[in-house]
Amino acid sequence: MSWEITISGFGGQGVLFIGRLLADAGFNAGLDTTWLPYYSGEKRGGMCSCFVNISDERIGSIFITHPDVGVAMNPAAMKMLEPTVKTGGLLVVNTSLVKTKSDRHDIKVVYVPTVEAAKELGDESVGNIIALGAVIANAQVTSTSSIIKVLNQMLSKDKKQLELNKAALLKGCEYS
Amino acid sequence: MSERTLMGGNIAIGEGALLAGCQAYFGYPITPQNDLLELMARRMPELGRVFLQTESELAAINMVYGAAAVGFRAMTSTSSPGFSLQQEGISYMAGAEMPAVIVNIMRAGPGLGNIGGAQGDYMQCTRGGGHGDYYLITLTPSTVQEMMDLTMLAFELADKYRNPVLVIADGFLGQAMEPVIIREKVKKLPEKKWALTGAKGRPKNLVNSFEMNPIDHPRRIKLLLEKFERMRVHEVRYEGLNLDDADIVLVAYGSAARSAITAMNMARKNKLRVGLVRPITVFPFPYQPLADLAERGCKFVVAEMSGGQMIEDVRMAVGNQNEIKLANSYGGVPLEADTIFEAIDILM
Repeated sequence: MSWEITISGFGGQGVLFIGRLLADAGFNAGLDTTWLPYYSGEKRGGMCSCFVNISDERIGSIFITHPDVGVAMNPAAMKMLEPTVKTGGLLVVNTSLVKTKSDRHDIKVVYVPTVEAAKELGDESVGNIIALGAVIANAQVTSTSSIIKVLNQMLSKDKKQLELNKAALLKGCEYS
Repeated sequence: MSERTLMGGNIAIGEGALLAGCQAYFGYPITPQNDLLELMARRMPELGRVFLQTESELAAINMVYGAAAVGFRAMTSTSSPGFSLQQEGISYMAGAEMPAVIVNIMRAGPGLGNIGGAQGDYMQCTRGGGHGDYYLITLTPSTVQEMMDLTMLAFELADKYRNPVLVIADGFLGQAMEPVIIREKVKKLPEKKWALTGAKGRPKNLVNSFEMNPIDHPRRIKLLLEKFERMRVHEVRYEGLNLDDADIVLVAYGSAARSAITAMNMARKNKLRVGLVRPITVFPFPYQPLADLAERGCKFVVAEMSGGQMIEDVRMAVGNQNEIKLANSYGGVPLEADTIFEAIDILM
């Protein structure tokens, strides 16, 4: 069992945070896990990626070139990830910003209007969690309950945020 | 059972230093090691120990020198441009035989370069770095667990040899998170009879790197050189993987070694006999194990995130007969397993 996940978008979109949720879920399951942020000098608005490895074997490279799962949160991420996702893999596309379609037939592509979906919950900042929900619903990386457990740990001091994030995760799971 | 936690590389260095009994930390912020400085800013005062954010890296290394001289376990951390600034102080400390731990979370140079991770300080780290005849034991973690473990070892070796010890990692590894088993706290720190603790009731101690007398200085350097030779004999550390039947041997440290492991696994899947030598110390460098593999007729791929620096040590180890190929990245970008695998493919 081995998962390579790359999430990419603008700094500020919560790319690193959903990577962190996945990594924590992997870690909690007793698996080897790596989480690597990758960005240049500017953070908010600059290009930002997150590489997450989860495996039941010793993980080699902390860098990911051909992910099993790609999450493209903006057009540049789409351009970078769409050709590199492994055959049989999953690509989640944030259609709130990405207006192009994938023409690959050897991977599963799930289109998610993350901002619009988040707005329906009353807070557009949880678009990243919507995207994460789509990942969990369409790839067997981890389970909804594992992510909810991590959210419970991380957001224990902010009940309102916790409930919002849980709702966003479940809403994201509706996309396939 | 020991606690298992998901931890960042820089944080693991800081926690390792705390466990090893680091009594004084001095540093100046620079990316990509700021979370280490931030951790120490929070944790050192909590433990009643010294934390000081200095006005520059120069001040930091000289304060480390001072703290070491009075017998403290002292450290600083920085990244490449800051490490260059510290060379004068490190040379003085080596001359004065002061134990301390210096952490260099490398970024791309030269000059201000880029904040992306790199391994371009290899030569500077393994050849002393400052002026004069000296070397520093240089430890190269390649996992977050090793960031903790080797930092603890660094304090031990610094005291053992009365010499500064380096822990070097690329910025990617510094910022990466992985599972870590928290180690036992060091309970008893070594006694330091040479330390400047006030000379009441004993002959005075002297800590300096200066020798006016031209007869005495060579004598002093000879002692240093003998010490570096003892390090070469006793402190070589490396990990070997799949070497028994290897035709091609990858040589890599830090996060490049992680990519090399993936490349090795790719090669093995393709029935190629590929192994890995991962130096854990780059001074002293594992020349002998590589020489033995060369003797057996192996070819080598050196994987590093620089223009090609460690490859010179590998060439020195294996001589001129065996083929060596460089697989590298530079300018602050990751070294991908694919790049290393391509080099293997060309050698086959």
